[in-house]
Parts: sequence; C-alpha cells; structure tokens
Amino acid sequence: MRVSMRALVVFGAVMIPALAIAQGAPPAKAPAQKDYRTGYSRLARLPDWHGVWAPDWSTLFPRGAQRERPAGPQFTPAAAKKVADYRAGQAEGKNTQTDAANCVPPGMPSIMRMPYPIEFLFSPERVTIITETESQVRRIYTDGRPLPGDPDPSFNGSSVGHWEGNVLAVETIALNPRNSLTPGINATEQTRIVERFHEDKPGTIIVDTTIIDPTLFAQPYTTKQAYVRKPDWEIREYVCQENNRDAADQFGRPSMDIH
Amino acid sequence: MCRLVAAGSLALAALALSAPLAAHHSTAMFEWGKEVKIPEATVERWDWTNPHTFLYVQVPNDSGGTDRWAFEGMSPSHLARNGWSRKSVVPGQKIALTYYALKDGRKGGFNVTITFPDGKKIAQLPQAMP
Repeated sequence: MRVSMRALVVFGAVMIPALAIAQGAPPAKAPAQKDYRTGYSRLARLPDWHGVWAPDWSTLFPRGAQRERPAGPQFTPAAAKKVADYRAGQAEGKNTQTDAANCVPPGMPSIMRMPYPIEFLFSPERVTIITETESQVRRIYTDGRPLPGDPDPSFNGSSVGHWEGNVLAVETIALNPRNSLTPGINATEQTRIVERFHEDKPGTIIVDTTIIDPTLFAQPYTTKQAYVRKPDWEIREYVCQENNRDAADQFGRPSMDIH
Repeated sequence: MCRLVAAGSLALAALALSAPLAAHHSTAMFEWGKEVKIPEATVERWDWTNPHTFLYVQVPNDSGGTDRWAFEGMSPSHLARNGWSRKSVVPGQKIALTYYALKDGRKGGFNVTITFPDGKKIAQLPQAMP
C-alpha cells in the first residue's frame, strides 16, 4: 500500500507539469467568473415553477370532450416515404419497439412527453429541467448567449432560452440523429425545436412545441403538452439498466427475459 | 400508466397534441387487454426495479408439481404513487393474480391485479380496479 501510494505521488508529480505543458498558456481572454449571487434576487420577477410537475393528458384530452382531428405533421415526400416504410415494417412485426427498450434515452422532444414527472430549478440566468425518465437533465441558458455555432449532437440538444414576460421561450438544436421526432422520423442536422412554456392557469403549465426541419416537414409541426404541479411529489431515481428484461433486437422486435 | 395511456392514445395520435409515449417499450409482446386469471400462486420473488417491476410465482401444474411464472409490472415510479411499495408482495405469500399473456406462449406476461387471501386487491393499471 505504502509503495503504491508513493508510486502515485511520483506519478502525480510527473503528470501535473506534463499536463500544464500540454495545455500551454492560459487563453488570452479567459472569461471572467460572474458573481451569480446577485442574480438570485432577480429570480423573484419570474413565475414560481419550482418543484415537480406531472404530465397530464386529461388537460389536453378532456373526458367527454368532442375530439377534433387537426392535421398531423405534413411530411416532405422523402419523409413520407420513411414513415410508409416504417409502418410497413410494423405490419411485419418490426419497429414495434424503440431504442428506449434498450435503455437509450429518448432525447428531445420525446423526453418531454414521457409518462413521468419533471422538475424545474431556477437559478440566475438559467433554467434546469430534471426529468424522472432516465434521470436526465436539460440545461437551458437564459443569459443571452447565442446558440453554439457547431455543437456536437446530443440527446437533449443544445438549448438557449429567454423570458417574454411570464413565457419561457426555448430554442434547441444539435439533436442526436437517434432521436425520434414522430414514429419513423428521426432528427437531422437541420432539426430545430422551439418551445414556449407558460402557466395557463395556476398549477398548469402548457408547453407549445414546434419542430422545424424543412427536410422532414413541409411546414413547422406544433404539438401541445400539459403539466400539472405535484406539490407532494419528489423525483425518483430511474436507472433503466437496473433490471431491463425487455431488450429489442435490431429490427425493433420485442423480447422478455422471464428467467 | 405509460401503457394504459399509450394504448388509449393510439386513436388520438393524429391530434396535434403530444400523445404520450411509452416510457420503455410498447405492449406488442402481450395479449394486451385479455385478462387471464391464476387463482392460486405462491410468491417466489418481487423485484422492485426500473424500468419494470417483476413478480415471480410458483403455480401448481397438472402433474402435481409447480411451474415458475414471470410477470412484468409497472415501474416503481408509477406504482409508488399509486399505493404500492417494495413490500407490497412478500416471498412465500399465497396470492391470486390476473395477467395479460405473452403472445409467444411462454409462462409469463404482464401482471394486472393481485388479490390477497383476505380479499384485498391491488391493481397495476387504474382501469383494473372495479
């Protein structure tokens, strides 16, 4: 033990200067660390969404209400063919499962449509959404920064937001091409999502989500999602790999390990 | 809830409202909605785990022995908010249960209800309660 500790110390002594050399001189314009403490007082001007909110489809689909049939997404011809192929696969027993069956996070926009709650955290110049589904985090920067120029794709994408009165407007780009936008249609490099969060009535948040991608949709595709406040709920841990017995194969066909 | 809502929403999928998605997987592998009863079973194991709970039971067979059956259930996230807990079912307990069968014919499926000897009944899905 003593020997290995000494070895570590020696290793560290070698490595630290090596790293310093590798990194070179600090950048000429290191961004100054902001003092965020002063920003907390400004949070009082924002609506209070602190806490846990559960998705609520009864708000969108009231019992007994007459159901209109607004148009679904209007696909480009290329996307329409993809959807037709996907449906044809389903008729053969394929594509009945998604990547989620293999514990891949759904990413945006699906992460906001899961049957599990979300939690809002407000801090200066930022809104954080924690989703119970897959224990994911969305970081929405509201400090006025532009969207990054060429970010790596990610499941939840890169998001910036701003407040328009009591409405939180969020723009998200750089989605992982594995993310499903609608059944059979995945995100592309051109996919952009615009969300508008507002408290429709006390305790109910409505999110209008518009997906823009000229390669997929002939016109922007807007959907609506409702969340209701759950003052007595806490977000639970959700680690899908804990005991996943329902893996899907490469064709999206299901399984269930009964052993 | 995920399955229930997902199944119920299929007809509404054309609406420009966010239809809920299955959190983990679809119900395609089960005879969803066709409730089958096992009147007598002994609990072997109760996995209070994500993404699904699992209930393993021994069920008497025709040759005088027992067979092991496995039933998937809703997630702890859903069940904990509907009165269940990791202690709802205990190994060795005698129960009756209902389930939706696996389409492939193996001894298993999706658990719908559990009834205890004192008549108390718990349900995985809201519509399974009277």
